[in-house]
Amino acid sequence: MSAMGGYLALTRTEFRLFRREPFSVVFVLAFPLMMMVLLAAVFGNKQADAHKIQNGMLIWRGVTPASYYTAASVAVIVAALGLMTLPITLAGYRERGILRRFHASSVSVQTLVGAQLTLALVIFVAGTVVMAIVARFASHAMLPQDVLGVVVALLVGTAAFGTIGLLLATVIRTSRSAQGIGLLLFFVLWLISGTAPPRAVLPSGLRDVGGVLPLTHLVTAVQNPWFGFGWSGTDLAVLAAYAIAAGIPALWLFRWD
Amino acid sequence: MATQLSVQPRRPAFGAQPSTGTFVVEVEGLRKAYGPVVAVENISFGVLEGEIFGILGPNGAGKTTTVECAQGLRRPDAGTIRVLGLDPTTQAAQLRQRIGSQLQDSALPGRLRVVEAIELFAAFAHDPVDCDELIARWRLEDQRSQTFESLSGGQRQRLFIALAFVNSPELVFLDELTQGLDPQARRATWELIREIRQGGTTVVLVTHFMDEAEYLCDRVAVVDSGKLVALDTPQGLIDGLGLPSVVRFTTSEPDLGWLGELDVVESIARHGEAVEIRGTGPVLALVASELVARGIAPLDLRVERPTVEDAFLALTGREVRG
Repeated sequence: MSAMGGYLALTRTEFRLFRREPFSVVFVLAFPLMMMVLLAAVFGNKQADAHKIQNGMLIWRGVTPASYYTAASVAVIVAALGLMTLPITLAGYRERGILRRFHASSVSVQTLVGAQLTLALVIFVAGTVVMAIVARFASHAMLPQDVLGVVVALLVGTAAFGTIGLLLATVIRTSRSAQGIGLLLFFVLWLISGTAPPRAVLPSGLRDVGGVLPLTHLVTAVQNPWFGFGWSGTDLAVLAAYAIAAGIPALWLFRWD
Repeated sequence: MATQLSVQPRRPAFGAQPSTGTFVVEVEGLRKAYGPVVAVENISFGVLEGEIFGILGPNGAGKTTTVECAQGLRRPDAGTIRVLGLDPTTQAAQLRQRIGSQLQDSALPGRLRVVEAIELFAAFAHDPVDCDELIARWRLEDQRSQTFESLSGGQRQRLFIALAFVNSPELVFLDELTQGLDPQARRATWELIREIRQGGTTVVLVTHFMDEAEYLCDRVAVVDSGKLVALDTPQGLIDGLGLPSVVRFTTSEPDLGWLGELDVVESIARHGEAVEIRGTGPVLALVASELVARGIAPLDLRVERPTVEDAFLALTGREVRG
């Protein structure tokens, strides 16, 4: 009973806590939604823009700016949860002695993180649905062409950003510093991963830096099936590599107090 | 004459001292340092099955570190520990299913409700107790649907004690059991701990409250500055140190010098009519009989026996501060 039962009970608990903590809901879901609506409003939904080229790249990847931002904003939700919510929550749990309490009662790291990531995945799926509907009505954006492909991208993205978040929670001692560092990382990634300005308009140096960051790969991994370009194996593989590279040291070094 | 009288020792604070039995906790040569600070230095003791074993000492003495090592929450630098026949450093997962832990400085998510917390922890137990029964036993019915952050210090404490018993443990570690409880809740908690022991659970109690150790514990390990300074029954601690009792009464009789001739009397002090006699052994009985023999029968004759606190002071040379 205990391993599976514990996981289910902790997941249910995390769902309850998420509903009762309005701020985390607001930021994690409202920020990407707001940005999507704003950016789509600024750059519009004209089909003519779809094939504009800059620096040898299709600026909007062959779709309207509104469609581009809809799919990209889904990736932003994943990054926000992984870089901010997860490390802030876990570092806060550690600081307040909640992790000690869990540890003494047979809760494993895998269960703890598994529950957090299950919650995250459900939020991502719900956020994606909201995002797609709002974008459809507000700016005639494209609905996902390949739903399974988007779900798979979200799953792999959750693994990558979930383990990055766990690693941050492992190396950062307090929730206050987790807030600062998480926010900084989030905005840097958001600005150079094609989620704010499209990558085509970035200077080449920033584009190169962005090219190795996980959010850039997640954006492509989500956008490709969303626009009906097929699954992006390379991006999924890079995200999986991030998950392994962050996950192993995080599980190894994880501290309960 | 005094020395020929046999002194009936007071019974231990509760029940009989288990003189033989199985050790459920065995600690041998435990050492733990945090950087340059040595928290625990060469501590050894054993806890017998079914007893309430106290670890008593001032704050920072190394009590919590000792029990955290025994619970597999910290890795000792040196020494061996066996708890229920298991090694807490390598068999922590198995061990945690069989022990209960009430930790110092722990918390729960602020928005988690009492009943949800108990159900959550029960879900991790192989052999969980009935949640409603546990809530009733620790008088949390009125707080059932309250969130952790809205609980008072005492209510949180009761919840943490309840959580220590959620997995039907054979052995519980209670670290500062009655911290933050009001006097009635404290007394009620003591009675529940005794009841739990009657049910066969062994209790390791970390405390800096002398009265708690004296009232509850069958045996007490006194820890000071990371070292074990004494290990005995509460009464044994007191008796072993030969601490004086104090007999007090008032009398208008001017000269009491003859009381000083009793072997058991160590000192006599007078403040007006108030008399204070210090001595060891059956000092009250002998002083009383001597007084009566001389026609003095004070109404307020009474004795103050040395307490665990006095023993602690004598052992560590300092007072315990909360």
